[in-house]
Amino acid sequence: MPAAISPTMERPSAQPTAPALAVSAAGTAASAAARTIIDIDHVDFFYGPSQALHDVSLKLDEKKVTAFIGPSGCGKSTLLRCLNRMNDLIDGTRVAKGSIKIRGVDIHGPQVDVIELRKRVGMVFQKSNPFPKSIYDNITYGLRLQGVKDKSRLDAVVEKSLRGAALWDEVKDRLHTSGLGLSGGQQQRLCIARAIAVEPDIILMDEPCSALDPISTSKVEELIHELKKQFTIVIVTHNMQQAARCSDQTAFFYLGRLVEFADTRTIFMNPANPQTEAYVSGRFG
Amino acid sequence: MAPPSIPPPTTAPAEAAPTSAAPAGFLANKSRFRLFGLTLDGCIKVFFGGNAVVAVVVLSLITIFLFKEGGGFTGQNRANLEIYRRAGLEFVDFMRTQVAGHTALTRELSELRLRQFNRLTQEQKLPPAEANAALATFDKFSDQFDDAVVPLRRLVSDLTETATAIKDKFAINENLSIARQQLLAEGKAAEAEKIAVKPVDFEAELKPLLAALPDYQKAAADEAAKIAAALAAAPALPSPELQARLEKLKSSARAYVNGFPEVEKTLRSWDHRQPVPAARAFAAFVFGREWITQSFWQDWYGILPLLVGSLLVSLAALCLAVPLGIGAAIYVNQLASPREQRLIKPGIEFIAAIPSVVLGFFGIAVLGETLRWLSQQSWLSWVPGFPYSERLNVLTAGCLLALIAVPTIFTLAEDALNNVPRAFKEASFALGASRLQTILKIIVPASLSGIISAVLLGLGRVVGETMVVLLCAGNRIALPDFTAGLSVLTQPVHTMTGIIAQEMGEVPHASIHYRALFMVGLVLFFLSLLINWLAQKIVRRYRIAIG
Amino acid sequence: MDAPPENHFRSRPGAIRAWENVLHWLFRGATYLVLLCGGLVFGQIVWRGAQTVFTTRAPFVNVAFFTEAPESLHVFEYQGQKQELGDRAFNAFKVAHPDAKDVKDESYVYSAGGIFPCIVGTVLLVAGSMAIALFLGVSSAIYLNEYAHDSALVRFIRLAILNLAGVPSIVFGLFGFGMFVIFFGWNVSLIAGWFTLAFMVLPVVITASEESLKAVPKGFREGSLALGATKWQTIRQNVLPYALPGILTSSILGIARVAGETAPIMFTAAYVVRDKLPWEGLTKASDFFFQGVMALPYHIYVVSSKIPQNEYTARVQYGTAFVFLLLVALIASASIVLRSRLRNRYKW
Repeated sequence: MPAAISPTMERPSAQPTAPALAVSAAGTAASAAARTIIDIDHVDFFYGPSQALHDVSLKLDEKKVTAFIGPSGCGKSTLLRCLNRMNDLIDGTRVAKGSIKIRGVDIHGPQVDVIELRKRVGMVFQKSNPFPKSIYDNITYGLRLQGVKDKSRLDAVVEKSLRGAALWDEVKDRLHTSGLGLSGGQQQRLCIARAIAVEPDIILMDEPCSALDPISTSKVEELIHELKKQFTIVIVTHNMQQAARCSDQTAFFYLGRLVEFADTRTIFMNPANPQTEAYVSGRFG
Repeated sequence: MAPPSIPPPTTAPAEAAPTSAAPAGFLANKSRFRLFGLTLDGCIKVFFGGNAVVAVVVLSLITIFLFKEGGGFTGQNRANLEIYRRAGLEFVDFMRTQVAGHTALTRELSELRLRQFNRLTQEQKLPPAEANAALATFDKFSDQFDDAVVPLRRLVSDLTETATAIKDKFAINENLSIARQQLLAEGKAAEAEKIAVKPVDFEAELKPLLAALPDYQKAAADEAAKIAAALAAAPALPSPELQARLEKLKSSARAYVNGFPEVEKTLRSWDHRQPVPAARAFAAFVFGREWITQSFWQDWYGILPLLVGSLLVSLAALCLAVPLGIGAAIYVNQLASPREQRLIKPGIEFIAAIPSVVLGFFGIAVLGETLRWLSQQSWLSWVPGFPYSERLNVLTAGCLLALIAVPTIFTLAEDALNNVPRAFKEASFALGASRLQTILKIIVPASLSGIISAVLLGLGRVVGETMVVLLCAGNRIALPDFTAGLSVLTQPVHTMTGIIAQEMGEVPHASIHYRALFMVGLVLFFLSLLINWLAQKIVRRYRIAIG
Repeated sequence: MDAPPENHFRSRPGAIRAWENVLHWLFRGATYLVLLCGGLVFGQIVWRGAQTVFTTRAPFVNVAFFTEAPESLHVFEYQGQKQELGDRAFNAFKVAHPDAKDVKDESYVYSAGGIFPCIVGTVLLVAGSMAIALFLGVSSAIYLNEYAHDSALVRFIRLAILNLAGVPSIVFGLFGFGMFVIFFGWNVSLIAGWFTLAFMVLPVVITASEESLKAVPKGFREGSLALGATKWQTIRQNVLPYALPGILTSSILGIARVAGETAPIMFTAAYVVRDKLPWEGLTKASDFFFQGVMALPYHIYVVSSKIPQNEYTARVQYGTAFVFLLLVALIASASIVLRSRLRNRYKW
């Protein structure tokens, strides 16, 4: 029964998919030492009648930073939001074909509780969205939902998360003031702190720096480097320098298809697909 | 391109798959609280959904209850009309109509006399006594004309008593049989037997009525002869205008007399056994021109006077409210400074908050009196309908209703103007159009359907308004006299909302009157739904137009 | 020699310009005419009503008017002096002056005493019906805005709400009479009035609540859900608290409407006159809900239509209208002020 669908790791690269994917297999092979945590397998995705993703297959490694790049509307955010099923919130969306497995479990399966899934797969949004509560309450929100009431534990988590998000020194004196009083970059880091407070396995970041100034951006990028030690990170960006700076692997999407997936260095220095080359060298998109 | 209808991926039992990493923690491993197979969250959703359905439930309950309570009306009205026929009331009413026709002619005659009298006293400066003397020949003619109907009137009055007696007998019998059935239902057969119900033998009872036919013939012939004689002796009036009216009167009098054989034919062919079809009972409601209740003779439940009253008052209100409301909306949205806007908008919202009963009271206490006083000023006598004497009338109610409609129209029209994309306006300005040109040629047309729907919703608000019309419309149940032209606006009317509010508290439960009021409610309900539907339809089209 | 350049942009007077001015002033005139009319109504009632409600002597407020029940006013002449006394005072007077027994008096119902029972009744009616309407309305709005997907049922619900908003108040009165008073056998009672008014105001509350819920940014919901909160946790902790002020302020407009309506309570809840206050003479607790009350709007209707207009009755007529108008105006302005405050405070 389990053999009906072959386990994720050994899937041969010679799949009847887009030719570009052949390269992706090569890319994955290069980092074969790492363990796959997310396995996206031939996914078709629809918003109502319009198809947003065409037969996307991708394997993401644990404790690595993977960047999704591509022009606007290429489906990179859609794929990201599939990973913790945030797309469920939008009417008329569906995964029509294929599967997404995290640690081998199909996240669309009937046994999966989407609430539990989201506890394990955190998310940081494009627009920072701290709740209009105090900084402290923002960070403990997730834990309190899980029923943690122990004050000392909460305090510890707040400090740990804020340090983790490199925000502790800036806000330690005003933990009980509103999170909305922070600057844009601080707010975004607060959201990251909020996400790591529940200790997820994976953190999804949907263009986390698009609304930030360069200084804040570099802070968040540094943070991503730090976080990589502990979490698997998937980041959507259309800033190519950012992808080059902070990711280990990069996937290039175009018109809802995965064009190329490889080590970041390969994608930027020696892309296999001419479209990828055109995009990373700034000729379109 | 149609999407391929691929079913959601059939998932392999994932927990069994050998995983290379730590076990996934997001399986539904917690035993969540469940009720009827729903999780707590599912229960909450169902709870809120249930509350949302309340709106649907209420709307359907309103429909159901209006139909339930009003539904028996047609049947009861049919019985009502049937007894009207059986007891011969209809028979008598044929003759009564003839008498009424004569009365109308007499009224016109006295109107003519008044005109002539005024002419004599005011233009020729005759003292009243002399004027009266000058009118002696006319009076003689008029008296002659008047007397013509006397025998018929006497006959009708006699027959009225006969018919009423039959009807009363029937009513008493009905009550007895109801009492008897109640006793039977309670199992008191012996007591029930004591109540003797003798069915009314209409055939026998109607004999004296039908026997009066020759009397009628005689009376009618008499009347015809007398009218003919009077007309022949009619004096000429000096002014051509009045003479023309007199000639017209003469010809209508002749037409009236010529109608007698028709009446006689109807009387002859009248048969009290003829059944009353249900459709007729229903039509008597929809097209009935009279709403007469608790009458000794015959109750009529015709909605027309109320419907026309409602519409007339609403129309009067809209005529005032539409220019004001839309003008204010255009001003506030396009022309006013931000400071003015901040002052005006709450001001108009404030007007919307004035309770209608307070407005109604204001109408009774102040506005009615003021308007009447104004109407009696000589410098305003050119206004149609002025001067008038009824303090409470269409105009008074219309003015106040306009004040109710203005905030609705203003708010919605302003929204519509606001929704016009800025680009339209900017494009127009860039072509060198002035502010008002832009408003009138670009913005108003672009938001026209929104404005129309605002007016419709204002109409809905006004048609459904109760207290103002109940207090200020005058509450006279009669079809307004549209021949009076615009001065119809100074007549008192009654409305659908008003009649319900006025009579509902006093009618016995489940009586025909009670059901008739619910029927009026039904008409009102569907009228408001229709207005609402129209407004929505127009708005929807508008959205597509803006794209 | 250079002539000064011709100014191509100078203003050109003409018919169009004049027409423009006329129209501008017409629109402006319409606006201020509306405000003037509203002001006139308001002013007249405040001016005349204030004469009843306020007095020139301390405590400057006509306490009796606010604390007593309506009585008949007796106007009579006694020993050359004109007397105006309420029912009780008149009886006492007759006892004190036996020779006044057969004095000829004119009496006007409801024209003496105060309007205390009416105020109490109105407050009870408004409080109860708003509690019901808020509960139902906020729940509906939560469902429609947070849970519902676009389905036939939801479209139908929205259609029903839209249409319910257009149903005339007197039809609600008929419905309440047919269903609660007759069918349920509740008679003319507080509870029948509550439900009738609540259903009438329901569309207002639902629409207001939905607007407020919509104003809460999507990010709050997504952020919370992404942290593994359930839907209900998200709504309770991260949506409702921020929507609630908006819901309440907008619903105040609903309160003003409920308080101002007469037609729906005419045959469901209001008595022309009732001796007992709602809390008097109850044999069991449930009796409280099944009793009719006096209400301000209905009282205004009664005193303005059922008694003649003269100097003696005008006092109670204007006084009642004034108190009622003031009450409603207070509620309405509270909502307007609160709304503008909230707009400034909540910006995310």
